Amino acid sequence: MITIYKKKAIKNMELVALNDVYFNKYTSDMLDEKAANIIKKIDCSEMLDKYTIRSRFNGNVLNIDKLSTGCKTVLNIMYNPDKVFDICECGDNALDVIYSLPEGNVYCDYPFISFDMEKVNVCDKSGVHEVTSYEELKEWWTNED
Amino acid sequence: MKIKPTVLNKIHTKHTSFEVDITLDYNVTFICGESGVGKSALYSLLEELAAEDKRIRCFNYLDKKKRYKNSIKQSKEKLFVIDNADILLDDSIRGYIALDSENQYIIIGRNPTGLVLSMDEIYELNSENKNGKTLFTLRKQF
Repeated sequence: MITIYKKKAIKNMELVALNDVYFNKYTSDMLDEKAANIIKKIDCSEMLDKYTIRSRFNGNVLNIDKLSTGCKTVLNIMYNPDKVFDICECGDNALDVIYSLPEGNVYCDYPFISFDMEKVNVCDKSGVHEVTSYEELKEWWTNED
Repeated sequence: MKIKPTVLNKIHTKHTSFEVDITLDYNVTFICGESGVGKSALYSLLEELAAEDKRIRCFNYLDKKKRYKNSIKQSKEKLFVIDNADILLDDSIRGYIALDSENQYIIIGRNPTGLVLSMDEIYELNSENKNGKTLFTLRKQF
């Protein structure tokens, strides 16, 4: 399950806000067949090889840097479990995928919760604990810390 | 805040197999929606249009370290197209945009907080394939 961080709890980890830049520079080199499903699910595009997709629009073949920011954010989270990624630019479809990932670290300034959420870890100054409901997560997120 | 568009009330442009045909009802047009529907593609098409229309200025994440806020505050009669608004626009510049009646804005993002928008001013991108061409239009989100 993913771990959601409060800003002050992000210690010894890098917080990545510019998901497009990070993906284009680093994550794009790490992609394997796992990425194809995510790209299909979120951007309705087909991953042709590591650096190429067939777009949903007119079937154009494009560089992988043309993926949506939401899709890039999901892939950043999946392939870089040692970093924390800001999810504020994700659409609801990308958000649903993030909450279903087996691991990954995320941050957002304000509560940003998938209606499909089942359980997540939250990390604040008091440590890490598990949250299993939408309401409890929203309350944790809106509390000062 | 509902103000009539100060620069353009319609945009029509074309780029190879892509066509944009959007009507701007208000001075601020906020475009949101799911990931992967073409919002940043729309931004690229408008960025190209800006090359031949000096009234249009475009900013996205690549401008994060640049003086885009000053550019907004020092301009008149410009249409600013802002992608990645959730990371570019802080509370202060959102407050400025909300009260700015001298420039017009198309803002692409997720969170419209601070822009003082009514639901009427929030749109989603619509795309349809017609004869091998993709046409982008806007529809109201609510």
